[in-house]
Amino acid sequence: MQSPQGFEPKIISFLCNWCSYGGADLAGVSRLQYPANTRTIRVMCTATISPHHILKAFQKGADGVLVAGCHIGDCHYIKGNYMTIKRMAVLRELLRFTGFQEERLYLDWISSAEGVRFAEVIRNFTQKIKELGPSHLRTAY
Amino acid sequence: MLEKVKELLKSEEIAGFIGLRLQEGHPGPHLFTKDHLEDLESLWVGETRYPLNKVLLKVADQYPELTLGVMVRGCDERGLTELFKWNQLRKDRVVPVGVACGRELAEACECYKPFPSKWVVGEKTEGISKSKRLQKIEGMNQKERLRYWLNQFNKCIKCYGCRDVCPMCFCEACSLEDRNFILTGKLPPENPTFHLSRAVHMVGRCIDCGLCEEACPSSIPVRTLYKKVGEMVMDIFGYRTGEADEAKSPLNLLGEVTLDLSDVNK
Repeated sequence: MQSPQGFEPKIISFLCNWCSYGGADLAGVSRLQYPANTRTIRVMCTATISPHHILKAFQKGADGVLVAGCHIGDCHYIKGNYMTIKRMAVLRELLRFTGFQEERLYLDWISSAEGVRFAEVIRNFTQKIKELGPSHLRTAY
Repeated sequence: MLEKVKELLKSEEIAGFIGLRLQEGHPGPHLFTKDHLEDLESLWVGETRYPLNKVLLKVADQYPELTLGVMVRGCDERGLTELFKWNQLRKDRVVPVGVACGRELAEACECYKPFPSKWVVGEKTEGISKSKRLQKIEGMNQKERLRYWLNQFNKCIKCYGCRDVCPMCFCEACSLEDRNFILTGKLPPENPTFHLSRAVHMVGRCIDCGLCEEACPSSIPVRTLYKKVGEMVMDIFGYRTGEADEAKSPLNLLGEVTLDLSDVNK
């Protein structure tokens, strides 16, 4: 998706059903503007996202992957995001070690009341990915 | 070694001993039993490393009521500790007989603990704490690292040798064979998904025996990758894989949260 103005990244965002998806919903009904580069995948909990899913997203040419869930302590399943943060820490470090630009993977906590923050997170992340340019894996497909 | 095994078998402390035996000039795994003590004549120690824990897992699976002995090096003992923690073996049904590795082997492996807690063969050599392989990679910039690893990963012929030889790969279903994750009928496999998936699975499991790299027909330096995984687990969670303590592997349970978002999005 190369627009005439420049590079338009593809970003896959995994949003948890209870908090971040609610946040996205609130941003929507509040008519907040944010870049349309993200493709949302709603999951019941961020802990259901295996590192495989993220790797597969990158493999298929995603320029960035955003994982957003409930704040620590607010998880609908009590401790789901405890696992998420551990997995993301490991995966980012692995991506760094193998040279696959770990900045393309971003983890944040967004509650269902944070519509404004949701729009802000998406804006910042999209901006960062635009600066980084297309993913190295994208050219292979 | 011979006397120790003989004594264990004769006293019926163990029903069988899993060790190496010279067969047609090559060392291979063998189950020594009390009924065939003469087999012990060909018991082999040497510098050979072999995934004996993998053999032990198979035998223990079929005969769960038996207590078995097994020859262990430093890495094998770490493997046993992890297998106990992951509930794959029962601690009271395994009697390890230790072998300490020589200096040359320890240096080739860059092993931080080339000796088990107790050993009957060999001399203790100091472990090597800094890995030159890791330093080499860490010294590169992002572009060089990417080029290096993509070149290495693209040599993969997807033989699954690294998984099959791995004493810590005990899962019944392997995600590397899941068609939804890894395309079939394509070589090299999807990189980096294939290799990084395996690396993620090695968190809290890899005990740095390095058999994967020895098994690899394309000489991909997978050991370097898993060494990094081990170091990462130590740095991020303070968990030393294979250490005999109460702590469980960090990705094996929810536990308590010790990380902050700023630790992740560095």
